[in-house]
Amino acid sequence: MKKIIKPLFSVVIISMLMAFQGGDVLCNSKELKDKAKEALDPFKYDSAELTRIMYKKKESIKEVEVPLFIGEKYRIVFEMEALPKQVEVQIYNKDKDSKNRKLLFSSKEMGDKKEFHFEVSKTRHVYVDYVVPPMEEGSYNGCAVFMVGYK
Amino acid sequence: MISKLLAIPFLAMTMFIASCSGNSEEQKNQESLEVVDSTATVTAPATVAEDNEVSYNLPSALQIAYVFKKSGAGFVPALLNNKANTSKYNTSNYKRAINFGIYSADLAYCLFNKKFQESKEYLKACKEMGSYLGLNQAFESDNMAQRFDKNISNEDSVVKIVSNVQLKTDVMFEQNKQKHITVIAFAGAWTESMYIAIEVYSKDKNKKVLGSLLEQLLLSETIIKALKTYKDTEPELTELIAAIEKINSQFNSIAAVKLAMEKDEEIDFNSISVTDAELNAITESVKTLRSGMIN
Repeated sequence: MKKIIKPLFSVVIISMLMAFQGGDVLCNSKELKDKAKEALDPFKYDSAELTRIMYKKKESIKEVEVPLFIGEKYRIVFEMEALPKQVEVQIYNKDKDSKNRKLLFSSKEMGDKKEFHFEVSKTRHVYVDYVVPPMEEGSYNGCAVFMVGYK
Repeated sequence: MISKLLAIPFLAMTMFIASCSGNSEEQKNQESLEVVDSTATVTAPATVAEDNEVSYNLPSALQIAYVFKKSGAGFVPALLNNKANTSKYNTSNYKRAINFGIYSADLAYCLFNKKFQESKEYLKACKEMGSYLGLNQAFESDNMAQRFDKNISNEDSVVKIVSNVQLKTDVMFEQNKQKHITVIAFAGAWTESMYIAIEVYSKDKNKKVLGSLLEQLLLSETIIKALKTYKDTEPELTELIAAIEKINSQFNSIAAVKLAMEKDEEIDFNSISVTDAELNAITESVKTLRSGMIN
């Protein structure tokens, strides 16, 4: 009996861990966007993007291109609470393949904050890069949300 | 022996629970949407490209209309798509999505021109198109219609109400794994906004309206990239991408645009000159594209 229970118990624990490490458990799109909307005020809602993050053995980058209108003022609110491990947000004026791109913002300045925003104007594009740190073991997933508002 | 026999169903049950729980929230959302939107005719969710290294966040029809209005563009009701045509577009996911976008652009154009009665009618057209796409919940929650009526003469309030509906539709598309529908709808909204801008400019010859039109044209490149991400989701996308690529190529062929791009400079669209031939080529392409969408 003991011979059976021990491996069975291990399988149960491993299966439960696998289930709760799945990123979709954390990714409640509505909840994250509702929170971002609150932090957007007094800017008007324009758009939002949910990005699924998969942690790999090597550092990886996920980029989102955000076209803007040059004469407008924008606020971009980030909600990072649905990530099991901190991901750095970097905002650039050009895409990741461009040589002379300029870093406009890094979430490193925000410390451990899970919600923060960046304001920008007089530009036609920004590129949001999620710098995903390497993870050695397990299949850790999560998601990040940003919301764009204008005024 | 008994314990071994018990172990198999127990193990199977554990694995089943583990495999289900990863999507529990999404499944809950999906279920609730299915119940509310029983009239929707959207076919099974298409495969979406979620794990791409690069993705695109497109602006809203509201923001395009807001920027366009700031250029001083006037209101020409004859340019709007006929709001009685909604049922005509309930034929394919593509037609439903593209015309949802077109009506959204018309609604935004009415709103920022303070044409509140027309706005109400186009909001109704959006709601009808939305119902075919499974979006009833987005239009029916929080007493949206009553709040719209109550605030009908207050631009800020009605814009907020419509923005909230837009956020809800964005979330629903996300939850239903139909992000590609958002991109197709935006292509429709962009085409309608371009069409309106071209027609308004041809009447007024206002240089600021032309500047706003050219600014909108700049979006064509991002729209193409976003549509290509989802190119296998709907059969009509190949043709749509080709049509927008043609417009993008005509825009990039404008001498002043070409020169600025070669120098890697930001373009001031309010001060560049565009010849009649350059603008006519774009005008014809936009009109052909829009006509194919609404007919």
